[in-house]
Amino acid sequence: MISIDGSKGEGGGQILRTSLALSMITGQALRIDRIRAGRPKPGLMRQHLTSVEAARSVCNGTAVGAQLGSTHLEFIPGPIRGGAYSFAIGTAGSTTLVLQTILPALITAGEPSTVTLTGGTHNIHAPTVHFLQRAYLPLLNRMGASVDLELERYGFYPAGGGRIRVDVQPAQQLRPFDLTDSPPVRSRRAIATIAGLPPSIAKREIEAVREALAWPDECLHMHQLGDESGPGNVVSIEIERENVTEVFTGFGRRGVSAEQVATTTTDQVRRFLDADVPVWEHLADQLMLPLAIAGGGRYLTGPLSLHATTNADVIESLLDAHVHMARDESGRCLVTILR
Amino acid sequence: MKPPTLRPIVVLGMLGTTLDSGKGARRWKRWRPTVSLCQHEDLLVGRLDLLHARRSTRLAETVIEDIADVSPETKVVPHIVEMDDPWDFEEVYGVLHEFAAGYPFETEREDYLVHITTGTHVAQICNFLLTEARYFPGRLIQTSPPRSTGDGAGTFSIIDLDLSRYGRLAARFEREHTDAVASLKGGIETRNAPFNRLIERIEYVAARTTDPLLLTGPTGAGKSRLAGRIYRLRRHRRMVKGELVEVNCATLRGDGAMSALFGHRKGAFTGAASDRAGLLRSADGGMLFLDEIGELGLDEQAMLLRAIEEKRFLPLGADAEVQSDFQLIAGTNRDLGACVQRGEFREDLLSRINLWTFELPALRDRPEDIEPNLEYELERFAVDRGQRVRFSSEARQQFLRFATGGDARWLGNFRDLGAAVTRMATLAPGGRISAEVVAEEVQRLARSWDHGGDQDAIELAGVVGPQRLKEIDLFDRAQLATVIRVCRESRTMAEAGRRLFAASRARRTSVNDSDRIRKYLARFDLSWDEAGRPE
Repeated sequence: MISIDGSKGEGGGQILRTSLALSMITGQALRIDRIRAGRPKPGLMRQHLTSVEAARSVCNGTAVGAQLGSTHLEFIPGPIRGGAYSFAIGTAGSTTLVLQTILPALITAGEPSTVTLTGGTHNIHAPTVHFLQRAYLPLLNRMGASVDLELERYGFYPAGGGRIRVDVQPAQQLRPFDLTDSPPVRSRRAIATIAGLPPSIAKREIEAVREALAWPDECLHMHQLGDESGPGNVVSIEIERENVTEVFTGFGRRGVSAEQVATTTTDQVRRFLDADVPVWEHLADQLMLPLAIAGGGRYLTGPLSLHATTNADVIESLLDAHVHMARDESGRCLVTILR
Repeated sequence: MKPPTLRPIVVLGMLGTTLDSGKGARRWKRWRPTVSLCQHEDLLVGRLDLLHARRSTRLAETVIEDIADVSPETKVVPHIVEMDDPWDFEEVYGVLHEFAAGYPFETEREDYLVHITTGTHVAQICNFLLTEARYFPGRLIQTSPPRSTGDGAGTFSIIDLDLSRYGRLAARFEREHTDAVASLKGGIETRNAPFNRLIERIEYVAARTTDPLLLTGPTGAGKSRLAGRIYRLRRHRRMVKGELVEVNCATLRGDGAMSALFGHRKGAFTGAASDRAGLLRSADGGMLFLDEIGELGLDEQAMLLRAIEEKRFLPLGADAEVQSDFQLIAGTNRDLGACVQRGEFREDLLSRINLWTFELPALRDRPEDIEPNLEYELERFAVDRGQRVRFSSEARQQFLRFATGGDARWLGNFRDLGAAVTRMATLAPGGRISAEVVAEEVQRLARSWDHGGDQDAIELAGVVGPQRLKEIDLFDRAQLATVIRVCRESRTMAEAGRRLFAASRARRTSVNDSDRIRKYLARFDLSWDEAGRPE
């Protein structure tokens, strides 16, 4: 049984999700101790329990210690089975984080799957559904899988109630890829989505994006949802290149002005464009796992987050893999994954 | 090792018609306590039993739908409860009590939390009381809004009313309990396990009931002392305000008994020159210790029963009842059940006072407690007489060997032990009880038990002879024994007189106490030489 220290690195739910994903794929039992030890409320919270439960049911595994507040978990995986799954996440928790836990397993399963997830679809501190649809899944599909994600209903914190449906056709064998050059931007788009809040908020956000990036009208969009999905507000900015689309998201929340929501997002976009790399922060830590499973790959990105280095550690302890990170003087980083 | 499976949490709560309300998307900007219960990352509510009035059904439906979104793991079960006036304590308590009574609690399988943040303040109080009384067999949960701005779920805290679960509080209660038990033992470090268990039980009951207590056990087992200590404990805890009124029912036989207990009006009978409150009235707000309750006449028993049950009774010659609310402690060394059989004691009164019965063991059944009680009696002697007396170690061993052995019958129990210590301490040369003193006392005790424990009879038999003793009325024996005891302790008749008539001396112009003693002794054919100090 492989032992993981849950308090290392990022020290939160990321270690748990990456460990579970790799445990399922490799068939290795693992024990995680000191789960979220440094957090104000240590141990497994409800959304983590849902991830554990999702992992357990996808591979018919056994979980010991899967209780609220538990800081220890033993996970003994069984064979991964595709099929129809449905998971509901409480506290408007992120549907995408639960998906992140089981998707690597499902794309390597023997049969296709359909997964329905309810909860939050656009959560702060989690990849949004748009990020998955535009940035992450196309790359996964390029590796040989076929994953189609449909957003059936938006879900924002605190109301939740969002729903996504994911159809997964597994790959016989995942193919590695290189993502090291950044061809010219093919298309760019900013969307301010609003639900159950005054439309003026979205207008002000779009104005702020226009001012910050000097983009023409055809790149700027407002998307007003019905009140029943609200309240909620996100600003999503997409930068599309021939080989990859990057997505940046700002989250509207109480106490933060519409302009601030927009400019924190445009600041990221500007740093990304200035760095002239194909992959940015969140995509960089998400790509590591599928590439490691595929047997290798390379990508060029900006400064790595704590999530990325934590992922690298977990990957190295559960897979016979090496994650090499080479930084240059301008802050760019070439990530090379070797098996 | 598999950790124990946690019981799912079940919350019982009332819909907050104000706090839980809200329409449209804006409702999510408000903190709604019932919804917030299900929004916490670290609290998983398996089921929420939501109490609401029929007129709030629409609001309840919204809350239930919202909980389904934020907490798909939670099953919400609505319960319609109607209250005409949610601020009326009696009604709210009644409705909630009824709900609790009809609720299928399964504490083995489910962990119950009572949500007290919603509902009127009256409802909160009722929920608190019902939880404390274990009608709701769970803990309280209180929810609070987020402290700063933000749409967060706020905070919650779970309050266990079982105070023993709080370390510091538990230590405090333990200390109070230990102190209370120690005070019931009169500070004596008793070692007899059944006796100590009995005292623990009495401490527990005395702190919780105002029902009558019945202390049984042989004469001298300490009923009267214990009654006094129970009273002081309750008074210390502010559970009783009034006085402790003590009376031995054996002294109440005859015509005066009614009047002494229940009082009378002026002119109620010949000799009733003024109003008399009576003992029951004096005990109002306090405690009444009726020792030897088996000696009470049947008429008095009937009156007493009514006084206990109704807290009112009719004094002699009065045309209106008076009230008195007291806690009764009854003492007896008789088998009251047998008394009921013989028609000497009312069955209904016995069943009323028989609720909390504590049988005090005889001293001979507590041999390990003789030593600590010996210390206690020596201490008492020192305090009373201002003279500290000790045993020589040989004498001490000798006395304890006898006292805890099979020959020591201790018919008068602590009364015998107290008297023995008093005698030995008084006779101790130079404040030291010698082996000789002990030997003498052991003989005296053994003799007294041969006579069935009547100390007066033993002493008098030694002075007047067994034949003459038979001619002396029981009525006179006690007084005569006291007089002879004083005479023997006095060097001269004058000294004896000074002590015997100390109270009345001051009021008299001429004093001839020696003459009074001489005349008194003469009635029993005794002279000073015979009664006084043997040379």
